[in-house]
Amino acid sequence: MDAGLLEQMLLGALLALSVYLPLRCGQLSLATPGFYAVGGYVAALLSTGVPAFAGTGATSPLPALLVEMVLAGALAGLIALAIGGPVLRLRGIYLAIATIALVEILRVINLNLPFTGGAMGIFGIPQPFAQPEGYVAFTLALLALACWLCQRLEALRLGRAMAAIRDDELAAACVGIDTPHTKLIAFVASALLAGVTGAVAAHFFNSWNARAGSFDASITTLAFVVFGGSRLWPGPVLGGLLLTALPELLRPVGDLRLILFGAVILLGPLFFPQGLVTAERLQRLQTLAALLPRRRGAPLAP
Amino acid sequence: MDLIQILVNGLSVGAVYGLFALGYTLVFSVLGVINFAHGAVFTLGAYFTYLLIGGAVGANGLLAGFALPFALPFWGALPLAGLGAALVALLVERVAFRPLRRRRADPLLALITSLGAGVILVNLIQLLVGAESYAIPTGALGGLPASFPLLGARVRTVQALLLAISLLLLAVLSLWLEGSRNGRGLQAVAEDAETAQLLGIDSTAMVRLAFGLSGFLAGVAGGLVGLSVSIAGPYFGIGYGLKGLAVLVLGGLGSVPGAVLGGLIVGLAEACVPAEASGWKDAVGYGFLFLVLLVRPRGLLGRPLPTKV
Amino acid sequence: MSLLQVEGVSCRFGGLQALAGVSLEVREGEIFGLIGPNGAGKTTLFNVISGLTRPSGGRCLWRGRPMQGMGPAAINRLGIARTFQNLRLFESLTALENVLVGLHHAAGAPLPGALLGSGSFRRRQGRLKEQALELLERLELAPLADQRAGELAYGDRRRLEIARALATAPQLLLLDEPAAGMNPAEKEELRLLIGRIRDHFALSVLIIEHHVPLMMQLCGRLAVLNFGERIALGSPAEVRRDPRVIEAYLGGQP
Repeated sequence: MDAGLLEQMLLGALLALSVYLPLRCGQLSLATPGFYAVGGYVAALLSTGVPAFAGTGATSPLPALLVEMVLAGALAGLIALAIGGPVLRLRGIYLAIATIALVEILRVINLNLPFTGGAMGIFGIPQPFAQPEGYVAFTLALLALACWLCQRLEALRLGRAMAAIRDDELAAACVGIDTPHTKLIAFVASALLAGVTGAVAAHFFNSWNARAGSFDASITTLAFVVFGGSRLWPGPVLGGLLLTALPELLRPVGDLRLILFGAVILLGPLFFPQGLVTAERLQRLQTLAALLPRRRGAPLAP
Repeated sequence: MDLIQILVNGLSVGAVYGLFALGYTLVFSVLGVINFAHGAVFTLGAYFTYLLIGGAVGANGLLAGFALPFALPFWGALPLAGLGAALVALLVERVAFRPLRRRRADPLLALITSLGAGVILVNLIQLLVGAESYAIPTGALGGLPASFPLLGARVRTVQALLLAISLLLLAVLSLWLEGSRNGRGLQAVAEDAETAQLLGIDSTAMVRLAFGLSGFLAGVAGGLVGLSVSIAGPYFGIGYGLKGLAVLVLGGLGSVPGAVLGGLIVGLAEACVPAEASGWKDAVGYGFLFLVLLVRPRGLLGRPLPTKV
Repeated sequence: MSLLQVEGVSCRFGGLQALAGVSLEVREGEIFGLIGPNGAGKTTLFNVISGLTRPSGGRCLWRGRPMQGMGPAAINRLGIARTFQNLRLFESLTALENVLVGLHHAAGAPLPGALLGSGSFRRRQGRLKEQALELLERLELAPLADQRAGELAYGDRRRLEIARALATAPQLLLLDEPAAGMNPAEKEELRLLIGRIRDHFALSVLIIEHHVPLMMQLCGRLAVLNFGERIALGSPAEVRRDPRVIEAYLGGQP
């Protein structure tokens, strides 16, 4: 497989996890692309504007990328922290639409600030890796870290509190869970992850503009999660990987490709209302995996 | 620009937003979900209008060079385009909503399936007629002058028409909702689907009615906007769709007067943005929406959401 | 000593007066009953006490301190836990996890250790799980620990909600129609269970229940609500003799 496509798939999986985090505590936030765009601008501005970040060699220094990621995550997280309090009082579809509005507001701001390059955006962002394979390895590590954190969340009381809020927010409050605080943590973590992902993506794509954070992206990232399954973290990861790859894989069918893509998004939820990854299917996979090594040595059935 | 022109601009754009939001509201009130294919239906309405007045397809799609063998005047084309859009909306309901309803699936899924339907429609348009922009000639209006004087200013006829037709449709719809049997049935389903079913109201028929009406409104709005600013490619409905969403929540989900009021407010506010800051215009509606939601989460005219313990 | 005082609480929804100046007091260690016809305002009073509904008049005091402006989470932290008439479990979580959510505030652990799954974190988790299982045991739910709450039988769901409430270490337990939908044998069992819970956890109970004979046996004192007003208050014997109660329940017959 083409390393460039693989990198896009990994970025898609990271964004899907960013949508998954608030959804895990019942909050349908579509703000992820907004924070992703902001994170990308932070990296693009620093590495094109500050000589120390651009470096002097053929590739920009790796520590600079790490610093950019930290700053991108921090800025996205701070925006989320600032608006999260009032926004997260909204419920259901109201929250979804408010976060769409947020993405649009951020897009217009990014488009009109005097230093973000207008509609054309920022070009010639230096490359920390000479080859796409370098990006793939780096992003894979980032994705592994994010997955590991999501997995650990299951064991923490924070994870249980989030699941409780998802099932019944009012009952969760009545057993003493600080629901606004818990929802805010999920929202900020989501923004942070999206911001960090944006920083990596800006380098990978070499240029960055306001289109990175659009309404289309909001819905596409939501489709990742719904398609893959929103209950367990492997769901969004799988959904992000598959749905990012799909339009590229459909390239041979030419003009029909986006129509087929639409058909997949339309039919996916009809055939898999819970998403591809469910607890039952995961369990079946585990039993299967446990059986496999034993079978290897056994003679074939007559 | 002088005040009257700003006012007419703002109100006419606002009225279109209102029509758009009204389509969302009709579906939302009976199903509790947003139909993300609504923007695509709007776009189709514009293309239907263009074809019905005798416009020919450009050189880039599968239908290159195609034109209908007849040409209707704009007044005949617009309602027919609305009907065509209504049929498409019914089709969307059939493939993207009804299967989910039958399975009592999470309503969240309808956001995705309807988006899928929208993606298919938009790309189908692109495949058939290409991505270029089409203009509906103002000559389609017959002998009407391009502009006329009003209180000392000159007002474009198209915009005055946009405003007049939108307000007329909104008024007719409000009267119909309150006064007719089907209109009240629709409201009853919106209020409480189960009770309505017990009272003998066929909720499936009402859902279809809501989709058909919302498609008709979207189609007519599409034709009007196509006449006013030209059809800027298959994606041109998306921007209006988003704005309509903001208007919808600003006015209050499920409220008909709210949708109209929200549309007019956003349209007027946008028209007041001076030309040198026009880049920020798109943020006005969303900014408004954001503020209103924070102060009054149910929107301007929405009813409070009951929390049942 | 009085644990909870309700002072002249009123509640109005639109044109409906759900509560009209209701006062009562729950003392430490007692089982206090709240009875009255449907729509008398009993659940509304629970909602006011647990912070879900803001009263339009009057106030509640916890150990003499006003509880005004406190949300449901803060009120739970004071020591008031409740169940719901229409059962509000965390349906997709297992019975054990439901109780573990209730143990939230006992489950705090330093983040680095928790993330890395350190020995001390795992030991702590083990203790929490034991604690949760013990609660399930006490409510005769231990064999169902790993079943999803949404899949449990009705009576088990009722008891699981009590277990979850007890996990928050309350000093006052509000039970909203815990015996609804149970047969006479189950009701009798529940009555004994509530008594045992009160003794074991040394808490007070405020209970809403329609089944009057059960309430007469279970409660030390009772208040009767009718159309949002408290029409009687006292021991079961006093309440039974009260002419206004007889009228409310029997529609004016002697």
